Amino acid sequence: MKNTIFICALGIATITASCHKATQNPSATENFATLEQTVINDFANNTALPQYANMVSAAVALNSAVTTLHSATTDANLQTAQAAWKTLRTGWEQCEGFLIGPVEANDYDPNTDTWPTDKTQLDSLLASNNALQAGDIAVLPQSLRGYHPLEYMLFGVGGSRTAASLTQKQKQYMVSLAADMLNNNIQPLYQSWVSAPTNYAQQVITAGKGSAAYTKRLDFFLDITGDNGMAGICGEVGSEKMYEPFINKDSTITESPYSDNTLLDFKNNIIGAQNVYLGLNGGKGLRDLVALQNKSLDNKIQAQFAAAISAFSNITVRYEQAIFTQRVQVQQLMDQLAALKDILENDLTDFLKQYVKD
Amino acid sequence: MKKIYIVFGIAVFVLAFSMCHKAADFPDSGYDERMSGGEATVLDESSKAFTIAINGLSARDARVHDIGDQTFDQAFVAPPSPIFTGLGPVYNNISCVNCHRNDGEGIPTAGFSNSGLLFRISQPGTDAHGGPLAVPEYGGQIQDQAVLGAKPEANINIAYTDMPVTYPDGTVVTLRKPNYTLQNMYLPITGSYMLSPRLAPPMVGLGLLENVPEQTILSFVDAGDTNGDGITGKANYVYDVYTKKQEIGKFGLKANTPTLLTQIATAYQQDMGVTSYVQPVESAYGQQQMHGVAGDAHPELADSLLNYVLYYVKTLAVPARRDVTDADVKTGQLIFNQINCSGCHRPTMRTGVDVTMPEISNQRIQPFTDLLLHDMGEGLADNRPDFLATGTEWRTQPLWGIGLLQKTTGTAYYLHDGRARTLEEAILWHDGEAKKSKQQFLQLSSGERAKLLKFLGSL
Repeated sequence: MKNTIFICALGIATITASCHKATQNPSATENFATLEQTVINDFANNTALPQYANMVSAAVALNSAVTTLHSATTDANLQTAQAAWKTLRTGWEQCEGFLIGPVEANDYDPNTDTWPTDKTQLDSLLASNNALQAGDIAVLPQSLRGYHPLEYMLFGVGGSRTAASLTQKQKQYMVSLAADMLNNNIQPLYQSWVSAPTNYAQQVITAGKGSAAYTKRLDFFLDITGDNGMAGICGEVGSEKMYEPFINKDSTITESPYSDNTLLDFKNNIIGAQNVYLGLNGGKGLRDLVALQNKSLDNKIQAQFAAAISAFSNITVRYEQAIFTQRVQVQQLMDQLAALKDILENDLTDFLKQYVKD
Repeated sequence: MKKIYIVFGIAVFVLAFSMCHKAADFPDSGYDERMSGGEATVLDESSKAFTIAINGLSARDARVHDIGDQTFDQAFVAPPSPIFTGLGPVYNNISCVNCHRNDGEGIPTAGFSNSGLLFRISQPGTDAHGGPLAVPEYGGQIQDQAVLGAKPEANINIAYTDMPVTYPDGTVVTLRKPNYTLQNMYLPITGSYMLSPRLAPPMVGLGLLENVPEQTILSFVDAGDTNGDGITGKANYVYDVYTKKQEIGKFGLKANTPTLLTQIATAYQQDMGVTSYVQPVESAYGQQQMHGVAGDAHPELADSLLNYVLYYVKTLAVPARRDVTDADVKTGQLIFNQINCSGCHRPTMRTGVDVTMPEISNQRIQPFTDLLLHDMGEGLADNRPDFLATGTEWRTQPLWGIGLLQKTTGTAYYLHDGRARTLEEAILWHDGEAKKSKQQFLQLSSGERAKLLKFLGSL
């Protein structure tokens, strides 16, 4: 009898032991590392580069629209130029989902997107004998360059601009502002990703394999996830750009008031972050990497992106008005953004630190 | 029975004295070497490593920190403006962060929107408080930018000359010696004047350094060089415009500012032309530049915003060291101590007690500075005295975070005016009280030099 019990026990032990799942499957690790490289390559080639290239074409279109407006100052041409500004603005706000590398290191961001516009100096500038050629613009303070002075010229206070109200000087200033953005900032930004000396796309692709910018692949993933990346932009929108006008009930400190683009700017920022996570143009994104090891985390992140982006549509008036009349909806949106930032900053960051080992 | 009394007596004696013994610091081995800022350390090595708040701020304090952060990043505009008003009439840059890139250091150019180098100016002699004597129509600093309608006081021309240094092993390193001259001056200056270049320094651990007690700093002074290492050290005592007292100087590249409040308010006033309750008078006041330019209400920076920026600066965490267990780094650290770099760049000290800010109170920190002035030799001299600092003296620059400057700035520059492009160049510029250490550095093998530099990179 004793023997029988012993044999049974041995049998159960054997079965249990053989049922034990292998803790580490070597091929899974290999797949993950291979996928890491694919995600990195696709980020550079399918997400970042095409978006920067689109910005270049949008800036070219804006240049030609403003030049046309200069030579034929009609309301139709004004509207074309306004639309071109908004198209370029959309491209830029989405690229703010990944403020990594040259865009900050070479000051392309502050050169084009400094806020607020220095209206006192803008008036002095237009009244002065400055020739307002593109070269004259490049040496002005950043508060007189880029999107917002051009927005102020094109749309006017409360969107009140008409072609008839544009002076010769204002038109010249617009032409040079658009040229300064294209030639001194947007084109160089694209070039810094594709050509020497920076060749940032190559630095991304060689992360962990000799890249000067990223000694480890993990550094790259943390960069597009953290303060320079997705979590950073969620924080900037949710707890600064939306929060300050909201809590102070102050519509003078919103970002793009002349073009009525403030809320769309915010939304495009978050879409830009989502593009980083999902990947663009058929490329793999971070989501593929997360899903390989933790499908429920991937679901959670995707759901939170979707919830945050859809919460924008609950605000049905311009943001400058919503901070007074739709405070509940604004608060709900900020809560969604805070939750999104929290997931990216904690859950996703922890995931990356746990699984990205090179 | 007697024996018991004696034993009992001895036991009480031993016990009593051992209990009276004050607990000393743990031995150095008892600390985590990564924690450069003690509790106020953050484990981050990204380009944003200098911009992170110390851990554990309450929701309210975090909000104050955030508003300070936004104000630090905020571009200011010319008056009159309903928001962020007060830029100019003359200035060096339009926001704090334009010079302190990612809360780090500046770029050593002058006159561009991303320039971080400014120039102090004075004439021979001292003012009523023992400080530098202002130049009429210029004040104490060259503002090389101006709002439209005013003129920049001058432009700075920067020219470098190559200066090769040869190691005994034959390796050559080329230093670049700067020469600074004023151009396009808006008014001539009669008589001689002195210029001093100052590169915007990193914001690392400033709250902790402010909290280092005066007696701790003074304890580092070796006035008669009693230990014969060639290093004496001297504290600067400077006049504080806000408290109207002479106080020990801790900030500024010549330890010429006593408190962070005065440092920040003076930067707003001198570098941006933005006045505050601490510095209520425009930098250009009384000069021709004030004429014809619209003024607005003073002070231009709200009291609360200045206080929030101060709180922001005080509550920035120090990035943790990296690679502290790496064998080369450890050897490099030994060499750092052996050739007595640590004679001035003191590795550890303890901050004072401040019950209002527990995170920076009574912390064992590793700033690698003694906060004292030292003669650095003719090569680095600006030849412009600043209170007790002579023309060859500079304050020991803290080294914490120095290994991250490449990431935070984009391209790192070192020393008071950014003339050094590598840490090695920076070491080779050392002279004066650092001469012995520099000479020993020259004698190291290339492998040992590399290890020392690797150690510095881990800070």
